[in-house]
Amino acid sequence: MTRLLGHLRRTGLGLLSPSLLLLLLVFLIPVAIMVPLSFRPYLPGQGIGEGWTLANYTKLFTDAYYYEIVGRTIFLGLAVTLLTLVIGYPLAYFLARSRSRWRHWLTILVVFPLLLNLVVRTFGWMTLLANRGVINLALQDLGWIEQPIRLMFNFTGLLIGLTHIFLPFMVLVLIGVIQNIDRDLEDAAKVLGANWGTTFLKVTLPLSLPGIVSGSILVFVLSISALVTPRLLGGPTYKVMSTLIYDQFLQLLDWPAGSAMALMLTLIVLVLVFLSGVIARRFGMQGSVAQG
Amino acid sequence: MEPRNRALGEGAAADLRIERLRKTFGAVTAVDDVSIYVQHGEFVSLLGPSGCGKTTILRMIAGLIEPDSGAIVLAGEDITQRPVHRRNLGLVFQSYALFPHMSVFENVAFGLRRRPVAEDAIGRRVRAALDLVRLGAHTDRLPRQLSGGQQQRVALARAVVTEPRLLLLDEPLSNLDALLRDEMRVELKRLQEELRITTLFVTHDQAEALTLSDRIAVLSEGRLEQMGTPEAIYHSPATPFVAGFIGRSNLLDGIVVGQAEQGVRVRVGEGLELVAAASGPLRQGDRVQASLRHERIHLTEAPTPGMANSFPGRIVFRAFAGAVTQYVVQLAGGVELQVETPTAAGRLEREATVQVELAPEAVILLPAAVPAA
Repeated sequence: MTRLLGHLRRTGLGLLSPSLLLLLLVFLIPVAIMVPLSFRPYLPGQGIGEGWTLANYTKLFTDAYYYEIVGRTIFLGLAVTLLTLVIGYPLAYFLARSRSRWRHWLTILVVFPLLLNLVVRTFGWMTLLANRGVINLALQDLGWIEQPIRLMFNFTGLLIGLTHIFLPFMVLVLIGVIQNIDRDLEDAAKVLGANWGTTFLKVTLPLSLPGIVSGSILVFVLSISALVTPRLLGGPTYKVMSTLIYDQFLQLLDWPAGSAMALMLTLIVLVLVFLSGVIARRFGMQGSVAQG
Repeated sequence: MEPRNRALGEGAAADLRIERLRKTFGAVTAVDDVSIYVQHGEFVSLLGPSGCGKTTILRMIAGLIEPDSGAIVLAGEDITQRPVHRRNLGLVFQSYALFPHMSVFENVAFGLRRRPVAEDAIGRRVRAALDLVRLGAHTDRLPRQLSGGQQQRVALARAVVTEPRLLLLDEPLSNLDALLRDEMRVELKRLQEELRITTLFVTHDQAEALTLSDRIAVLSEGRLEQMGTPEAIYHSPATPFVAGFIGRSNLLDGIVVGQAEQGVRVRVGEGLELVAAASGPLRQGDRVQASLRHERIHLTEAPTPGMANSFPGRIVFRAFAGAVTQYVVQLAGGVELQVETPTAAGRLEREATVQVELAPEAVILLPAAVPAA
């Protein structure tokens, strides 16, 4: 007991304990309820049955419908992450390095979408992407296409919508890391004979890896658990795990299956966060800023 | 003795000429029409207070800042428009700028890997450069595992390993503590003499500039105030700024009142006339500024016969500073002079009456400072 107290005092955890307790109460207890629930059988028309079963989990791996959705969700998450990284990195680099007096306005512009309601933004995309939406009508009027391109209720629609919504997160994380890279390091590489490309590949990029990793985890986790955007842009038929879980709970009232899927999603996230931590350590990314 | 820098080679160094260099940032003129010539193998310091433009000049030579006008000529070749990575220079940053994700070896090898150098030659030259800075045993460490002084040495090795034509040093010693700084100062000079590399050294520390340099360029507010050997800068400052910045001087405003046997007579205060060994044409009525170095003023008990400048005074302040003792002496007419004497010369108490003496050669006459607008 005294050892525990000493430990709490040293690490400062004791100071955190009131808020820690609250967090445990709010986050862990629902999970703790869901774990046994996910092993219950579901009786159509009656609800949660008696006894224990693994059926809710085996279904996820054996039923083609379910594992397609699991695979689609992960693939969508990876695609959104990659796209936000590819678009976000140059943007973040520019914002972190620019000495333009417009810099602050541009940063605000990046953050601005976050100030708008998610549903409003998604409806905005719907008016753009729909079969009789702005993009398709414009392309048809220009005579470039005969039939409207399907941009909604499919992978393309979700990719566009989610990339737009999560881009600011990626950019903000990257700006912080790139700003902390000492400009002298890039100058030193150039003086030593490295051109722009080599300087970027050998110095800037390796030193921004911590930001790339944490930004990617953030965007990936947010994309695979996003609900509103997939629901609106994916429509009733094109489902991902989050919308499927929603339907299981609220429309089919199949709480056990919904719990199993929700825990599966959580597991995927935890595994990926763990793996990226391992990768980060392998690349020796403890600190990116030179001591001076 | 076998030269230690065999693998590094010699003779790559070149002479540097910068011509009428100008750079403005917005409304601020950082560098104003500066021309400097650095000979092959010479060690030249750019000395000045912060904001005088010395680092801007250095970065323009490196190619990191583009000048508004003027030319940078290295070994007779105009490199003003050449991109940074093709200038073949060595630069040591104030922050050292070691790549934190690379080992000491890879840091030093970075420049060689950008050039057509064979892998075994890279290994040999990196080790030679690290031996040169006495860091041969630390090749596998990361920069953050080294002390400040060791990081400094790695930065030096990285800058010289590519045999640059010119070595640029941007206040490389200012992040070290005092003892280490003195040690590195000696190391730096030894290295430069051994490699005979043309070196431009930026500093705000006059002691560093005086001890290291073949010549010093003193800068103030973007302009070149004076360029010369450390001795010339110290003993014959050309402007009030240089007189005030290098060493410690009493600056007194005065008027030339007539000729004297050993030079000119200058009135610097009520009933106080100094004899100065005049250099250059000075006429009666010219406004001048007299610069009197603290350590060239002597305090005696009685007037020395034949001494041109000898005035009675009273000690109003005394401070012991180790090897020297500082005094403030008030002369007749209220003029106060700061004086520094060797502590070994004896101790004078406050309120004591003394004779203040200085040779005409110790009175340096400068053009009067332009009144502040």
